[in-house]
Amino acid sequence: MLRTYILLGFAFLFFHLHATGDISKYINMRYSYLSFSAIFLFAFLTIVQFVIANRKEKEHHCHDGCCHHHDEESPKWKRALNYMVFIFPIVSALLFPIATLDSDIVKAKGFHIPGFDTKSEDPTVQRQFLRPDTSIYYDKDGYNDLMQKELSYFGKQRRLVLNDENYLKAIETVYQFPGEFSDREIEFDGFVYHDETTNQNQLFILRFGIIHCVADSGVYGLLTQFSKPPHLKNDEWVHIKGKLSTIYYQPYNATIPYVEVKSWHTIRQPEEPYVFRGYDR
Amino acid sequence: MKSFLQLNTIFVSILIESMPFVLIGVFISGIIQMFVTEEMVQRWVPKNKVLAVLYSALIGILFPACECGIVPITRRLVAKGVPLHAVIPFMLTGPIINPIVLFSTYIAFGSNIKMVLYRSIFSCIVAVIIGLILSVQYKDDQLRKKEVISSVSSKTLKEKWMGTLQHAVDEFFASGKYLIIGAFIASAMQTYVKTSIFLAIGHGKATSSLVMMALAFVLSLCSEADAFIASSFQNTFSFGALAAFLVYGPMLDIKNTLMLFQSFKTRFVLVLIAYITVFVFIGSLFI
Repeated sequence: MLRTYILLGFAFLFFHLHATGDISKYINMRYSYLSFSAIFLFAFLTIVQFVIANRKEKEHHCHDGCCHHHDEESPKWKRALNYMVFIFPIVSALLFPIATLDSDIVKAKGFHIPGFDTKSEDPTVQRQFLRPDTSIYYDKDGYNDLMQKELSYFGKQRRLVLNDENYLKAIETVYQFPGEFSDREIEFDGFVYHDETTNQNQLFILRFGIIHCVADSGVYGLLTQFSKPPHLKNDEWVHIKGKLSTIYYQPYNATIPYVEVKSWHTIRQPEEPYVFRGYDR
Repeated sequence: MKSFLQLNTIFVSILIESMPFVLIGVFISGIIQMFVTEEMVQRWVPKNKVLAVLYSALIGILFPACECGIVPITRRLVAKGVPLHAVIPFMLTGPIINPIVLFSTYIAFGSNIKMVLYRSIFSCIVAVIIGLILSVQYKDDQLRKKEVISSVSSKTLKEKWMGTLQHAVDEFFASGKYLIIGAFIASAMQTYVKTSIFLAIGHGKATSSLVMMALAFVLSLCSEADAFIASSFQNTFSFGALAAFLVYGPMLDIKNTLMLFQSFKTRFVLVLIAYITVFVFIGSLFI
């Protein structure tokens, strides 16, 4: 009977995540059809297991205790432990609040995906920070074509207004052609991240980008320069208006784009704190 | 406490991502169990060992599987009498050369075919070499538990479908356990082990390949997402090291290694791990 409950539990878990919309805090909604179909698969298996268990029960009575189910061979505590493994994720997913990735994750693991380490002095590691870059995989021409396409798209706009949809693309283009965007107006949201390398007028504005699920997220954003110390704390969300420029940033040993902040205000954490990578380019 | 919540979030997200594929896997496994007879296996698998290995390494191209869903299928095929050398190459390349994964690799590397080719050819070479070695080394099935296979031909169609479903449930409880434990370990690794430890080890050709392989194992990403992660490492690591990441991860990670140990004899799994590690490593040095 426990098996039926576990399967039901999984069906309910997937249903619950979809019904409440919490699923978007775990995975890229582009792939939601997969977990959506899992509701029905689990529900179906629940019914199957229920029928099987019932039938077994009947047989059990007929044959007077000669049950051949292989599970019955292992000792009771082992079986209990076995099922605990299945019950744990159902309980932990339903019971514990969903954590939003924030600067703690940035700090705790460094940048596990872009390969950024806040403490490392190695510039080759740090340069990965913030910059989605795909150049190595192109023939030179192919990559130039693609980036030119992006450039001509973003390059035409007199002011860049970043939103959930274009955030990752726009950031990549800006890092690719920092010069082209000099003096361009930019407007975007993100959470505050103080790095050990920034001075009191500088901070990073970042967002987590997600490919499939939270496990494969990375962090992307821009360095910002304020005219006077903004006194912002890590993880405060802000809306930034400013002007793009480039700076030789000593700690990274590289020239990177940054934003001269003209105006800013704090905002509430958006409904959708993550940006998702799309397939269309 | 907060870090535990983040761990839990990552853990649940890995499960949400992989469960649908495991469900597909257990259904297919059930169908194999009830509908594939040993005579069919005899007929389909080429007698010539080399041919069988090649066939097995390439069949995955037609078959959308991921690295956790494919283990139950593999075990079922072996239990049905398909020789190891005709299954293991399929298990190794299946999560890599299937259409969905190749497409996502293509997109992740900016609509360029170069990494797609390297990734698929590299994985096929590794799988073929391992298949050939296994064909000489092992004659028996190396399964942990001998499974009694009742004759399926005598059953009615209705019984067969019922059997398929019952089997799918059994299989879910058999392999799901290791998926859950593996996902938990992987998310703990992501939360508590600084990746910078790996990255600090070095950037030589050999060390960077090893680092990327270790990372692929520890992160336990779905083979459909790993290309995007690899692409974010490109300034830090050589093309060969990235290819190693993309070939090693789908073949071995925390989740599917646990599932392998549950299905096959410990010694055999260790040997397999050693082969995969050695050949992927050597191969990456040539790229």
